[in-house]
Amino acid sequence: MNTFKKNEKFAFLIFGIIFFPILFLVFTSFFSETESLVYVFENLLLDYSSSTFKLIIITSVFSLILGIIPAWYVSNFRFYGRSIIDVLLFLPLSIPTYIMAFTYAEILSFTGPLKIKADFLQLEILGIILSFSLFPYIYAVSRISFSLMGSKFINMGKILGLSVYKSFFKIIIPLSKPAIFSGLFLVIMEVLNEYGAVKYFGVNTYTIGIFRTWNSMNDTGAAIQLSSILLFIVAFLFFIEKKINKKKLFSYLKNSNPIELINSTINQKLLIYLACLIPIIFSFFIPVLFNISNVIDNFDKIDISNLLQLTINSVSISLISSIIILVVSVYFLFNERFSNSKIYFYINQFISLGYSIPGAVIALAIIIYFTSIDKNIDSINLLGNFYVYLFILIYAYLIRFMAVGKSPIKSGFEKLPKTYDLTAESLGLKRFKIFQKIYLPVNKLSFVSALILVFIDLMKELPIILILRPFNFDTLATQTYEFAIEEMLPLSSIYSLVIIFVCSILLIIFKNIISRINVSRS
Amino acid sequence: MKRYLILISISIFLGSCTKNEKNEINIYSKRHYEVDKLLYKKFEEKTGIKVNIVKAGDDELLERLKNEGLNSPADLYVTVDAGKLQKGVEMELFQKIINDKIDANVRSELKDPHKYWIPITYRARLIVYSKDRVSLDQLSTYEDLANPKWKGRILVRSSSNAYNQALMSAMYANLGKDDVTKWSKGLVNNFARNPKGNDRDQVKAIAAGQGDLAIVNSYYIGLLLSSEKLAEIDAGNSVSIFFPNQAEGDRGTHINISGYAMTKNPPNKENAIKLLEYLTGEEAQNIYVNNSYEYPANPLVNPSDIVSSWGDFKIDNLDLNLLGSFRDDAIKVFDKTGWK
Repeated sequence: MNTFKKNEKFAFLIFGIIFFPILFLVFTSFFSETESLVYVFENLLLDYSSSTFKLIIITSVFSLILGIIPAWYVSNFRFYGRSIIDVLLFLPLSIPTYIMAFTYAEILSFTGPLKIKADFLQLEILGIILSFSLFPYIYAVSRISFSLMGSKFINMGKILGLSVYKSFFKIIIPLSKPAIFSGLFLVIMEVLNEYGAVKYFGVNTYTIGIFRTWNSMNDTGAAIQLSSILLFIVAFLFFIEKKINKKKLFSYLKNSNPIELINSTINQKLLIYLACLIPIIFSFFIPVLFNISNVIDNFDKIDISNLLQLTINSVSISLISSIIILVVSVYFLFNERFSNSKIYFYINQFISLGYSIPGAVIALAIIIYFTSIDKNIDSINLLGNFYVYLFILIYAYLIRFMAVGKSPIKSGFEKLPKTYDLTAESLGLKRFKIFQKIYLPVNKLSFVSALILVFIDLMKELPIILILRPFNFDTLATQTYEFAIEEMLPLSSIYSLVIIFVCSILLIIFKNIISRINVSRS
Repeated sequence: MKRYLILISISIFLGSCTKNEKNEINIYSKRHYEVDKLLYKKFEEKTGIKVNIVKAGDDELLERLKNEGLNSPADLYVTVDAGKLQKGVEMELFQKIINDKIDANVRSELKDPHKYWIPITYRARLIVYSKDRVSLDQLSTYEDLANPKWKGRILVRSSSNAYNQALMSAMYANLGKDDVTKWSKGLVNNFARNPKGNDRDQVKAIAAGQGDLAIVNSYYIGLLLSSEKLAEIDAGNSVSIFFPNQAEGDRGTHINISGYAMTKNPPNKENAIKLLEYLTGEEAQNIYVNNSYEYPANPLVNPSDIVSSWGDFKIDNLDLNLLGSFRDDAIKVFDKTGWK
C-alpha cells in the first residue's frame, strides 16, 4: 500500500511539472486587470462567437458527410479497389489545414487555373475546405465502429423488415454516435485552434480574438483570460463527450464476429464510388497535384540542401518529441490501470484537455514560466541557448500533444483482460516487470500507432514552433508558412509536399497496423 | 524508462552548458523575405560573421525579448512596422543607436527622432484602381475614399493586419478622433466586400471585377508585375497606381518603414553595428530594391525600374513613432466602425 502512495506522489509531481505553466497562467490571469476584456465583451464577442459557431457547424456537417458515408460503404460492401480506397480516405490527414486552405485559395483565385471571378473567400467555403483535411477523423472512428457492428445489425434490421438504408439510420448511426462524437470533438478542436487560414479568409473566430487582444491591443493578460474562457468551454464540451461516450461499451463489444461484406449491385457500385472518390479527389488528389504542378513550374528555384536540412529538422524534432510524449503518456495510463487511486484517472482526463489549448497560448505560457526562472536565478543564463530552446519546445509539445498519443495506447490497454494483471501480480512481478514482460510486447503495435499519430501532428504543427524555436531552426512547416504569408505560395509547395509525403507514408503504415490489430483480435 | 528520462535530461543539460560561438550576430526577425536571406549570406561571406535568425511574428518576438530581459541572446530586432518598433521602445527593450556612418546612409525624413531604430527600406500604402472603371481625375486623397461615390467599390484586407493598423494610426494622428471615426465609417460603407485576403488578393479582386479600388502596399504591385505567372502579371497590369494626398500643401502619402532596433544588452554589439552599416550601404540597398520592390532608405540609391516608373511622390512626414502610440485608438476605431 505504501509503495502505491509513493508512486502516486511521483506521478502527481510529474503531472504538476508538466502542466504547471498552464495552471500558473490561468490562475494569474484572473487576478490581472480586465479593461480590454470588458472591451472585447462589449464590442467583439458577438461577432467572434457567431462566426466561430458558424464555422464549427459547417466544418462539422461536411466532415460528417465526407467521413460517415464512405466509412459505411467501405465497412459493409464488397467492391473493387475497396482496400486502396480505405487507405486513401485516411491520407488527407497528412495535409495541414493551413496548406489545404492556402492551396484552395490559390486554385479558386482569379489568377488560379480556373480564373474564378466570384469572391471565394467566404466563411462557408472555408468551412468546406477545413472539412477536407479534417473529415478523416470522422472516417477513422466511424470505420472502426461500423466494421465492429457490421452486417450482424443489418441482418437484424432485415428481420425487422428494415431496408439496408433504414437500418443504417435507425440502428447503426445511433449505436455509433459515441464514436462519431469523439471524432467530431477532434474536428471542433482543430477548428478552434486554426489561425492562419481563418485570418486569411477574414473569418473572425475566437482564436483571432485572442490574438487581437494579445498583439494589436497589447494586452497579454486579457488574451490569457480569453484563452482560459475558451479552455472552460472546451472542458465543458469534453465533459459532454465523456457523458455520451459512457455508452460506448454497449455499442462496441456487441459484435466480435468478422464482418460479412455485402455484394453490391451496379447502381450501388456507382453510388459507392461516387461517395468514396469525391472526398479523395477533393481533399487529396487536387491539392497534391496542384502543389506538384507548382513544384514543376518552379523547379529551378528549389534549394535542395535547404530542403534536406529542413526535412532533417522536422523529422528529428518530431521524432524526439513524439518518443518523449509516448513515454510519459504510457507512464500515466499504465499506472491508471494498476492503481486503485482515482488520481491517475483525473490526470489522464486533464491531459486530454491539453489538446484544446491553442498552441500559441501554450507557447506564451511556457516562455513566461521559463523566463521567470531565468530572471530569478542570476547565476544561470538559460535562454538563448539552442538546446534550452529545443527543450522548451519539446516541453510545449508535451503539454499539447499527449492527448493525441493517449487514445491508441488506451484502447490497446483496454483490450488486455484484467486477469493478466492479476495473474502477473499474484506471481509477484513488480509493475515495471509487468510492463516489460507483458504490456510492452502485447501493445507494441498500439505504441507504434500512437507514435505515428503524434509524429504526424508535430510535423504539421505551427504556432508553437514559430514562437519557441531556437536560432536558425527552420522546419518544413515554418518555411511553408513563411512563403504562404509572404504571398509566395508556389515556392512553398515543395516543402508542403515533403510534409504530405512523409505523413502519408506514416499514415499508410498506421492503417496497416490498425488492420493487423483488428485481424489478430478477430 | 526512468533511466532514459534521466539520460535525456542530463544530455540536454550538458548540451546547454556548451559555450556560444563568438563571431556571430543574433537577430529576431519578422521579415521573412528571401532578400534578407541573400543579404545575410553576402554579409557572412564579406566579414566571416555568422548571422543567426529566429523568425516569428513581431509581437511574439517582442514578448520573447521582454521575457528574456537582459539575458536575451538577441542583438537586433527587425520588423516591417515603425509602430511595432515604437512598441518595443515603450517596453524598454531597445537602446539608442548612435553611429555616424549609419546616420549618413539614411534619408533624414525616415529617421527615428529618438534614434532607437534604423530604417532600411520603406513602402507606401497607396491606392490602386481599375484602369477600365476608374479615371485618374476621380482620385485625390485617403479622406475621399469615404465619399459615397465609391459605394460598393473599395477593397481592403482585414483590420487585424498591421499595415492597416498603421494606416489607421496615421489617419488618427492626422485627423483626430472624431474625423477619423467619421472617415472610417464612410470607408466601411464603401467596401465592396468584407475585408479578407492579403494585399495581392485585393488587386486580383479588382482584376476579377469584384471592386474598383484597393488600398495596398506598393511593393506587392512590383511583385505581381515581376511574377512568373502570366495571370498575375495580367492582374498587376489591370490596375494603375495612385499616390494619395499629393496636392500642393497636402501632407503626402502614408508610408511605413522596415527597421532594425538594438536590444538593451546585446552580446555582439560591434557585429550588429557592422551589419547595420552594411545593410544601409549602397550595395545592400540596391539588392533590396531589386528583389523586394521596396523603396530604399539610402538617398543615393534609386528604386527598381518598375517602382521608379510610378514616379516620385511626397511622403507624409508624420513622426513614425506615432504609428505605435495611436495603435490602441486605431483598433477601437476599427471596432467601432465595423471594419472587420
